[in-house]
Amino acid sequence: MGGKTLSAEDVRRLYDQHGPALVAYACGFVTDAAAAEDVVHGVFLRLLSAEITTPDVPVAYVYRSVRNAALNARRSGLKLAELDPQSSVFRHRDRNQEAALALEKALAELPEEQREAVVMRVWSGLTLEEIAAAVGVPLNTIASRYRYALEKLREKLRRYERNENGAMENGK
Amino acid sequence: MNEMKMGQWKMENNDKKFEEYLGEFRPRKPRPLPEPIVHRQVWRQRLATSAAIAISLGASLWFILRKDKLSSGEIVAKNSTSVLEETSPACPLALLPLTQLALQDPDQLDAQLTAASLRVLPDFRGSNSTLRVLAKE
Repeated sequence: MGGKTLSAEDVRRLYDQHGPALVAYACGFVTDAAAAEDVVHGVFLRLLSAEITTPDVPVAYVYRSVRNAALNARRSGLKLAELDPQSSVFRHRDRNQEAALALEKALAELPEEQREAVVMRVWSGLTLEEIAAAVGVPLNTIASRYRYALEKLREKLRRYERNENGAMENGK
Repeated sequence: MNEMKMGQWKMENNDKKFEEYLGEFRPRKPRPLPEPIVHRQVWRQRLATSAAIAISLGASLWFILRKDKLSSGEIVAKNSTSVLEETSPACPLALLPLTQLALQDPDQLDAQLTAASLRVLPDFRGSNSTLRVLAKE
């Protein structure tokens, strides 16, 4: 297994592509969106300023770095703030801010590995195979984590999902 | 195997819709990375470039200073030459006293001019004088 030294362009591309998903992921550890953003920002600044050789799948390395940085931030006294609508991590397409907050809360309540699977799949756009390779676990395990995560999220967001669909149907 | 296929089928059909619903939520974009952060490779290049510039500037400065030193030496040499010239016995001929002398005593004027010519004009009477050598040729 070789390594890869990321160029500044690689780092910036990773940031553009996965930055939002990483903020959502980090939010599961620190809860506060601004703190999550700071964590992600800090990880990428470090990547830019230091010569770091990442494993073959840089995105997995970045997810690990964000996780560690978020845990450190939490340990070093970052308060678990109440979810504030103004500083929510998610924005809903139809500006359903209540649903966005519910999703944020539901994600934060997921076990870490399930949250990782769902964030990487839905917001980082990786396939289950890519996630398995990145995380270093069998595909079946990732598929199970993802499925469980979706079930839990669906349970918690059922009300909003139904409302959305209902609104759409009424709109027709 | 059958169970896995079943699981995949279930995911494709039941979860696809919910996955799409989740996709309606967009996580907020973190603030852009600051531009002034210089990447290590760029930093090295810039360091090398600035070192090259500093070396060339230093060399130019040294060259200029050296040149100044040389030219001031030349000035000193020139000054010393002019001092030598000033102290040389070549005295300019004053027209007014010579005119007066010509009116009062022409013989004296001739004697004065002869003496002056010995001082002002090149001497060709010496055995190694250039004029003498040229005259011989």
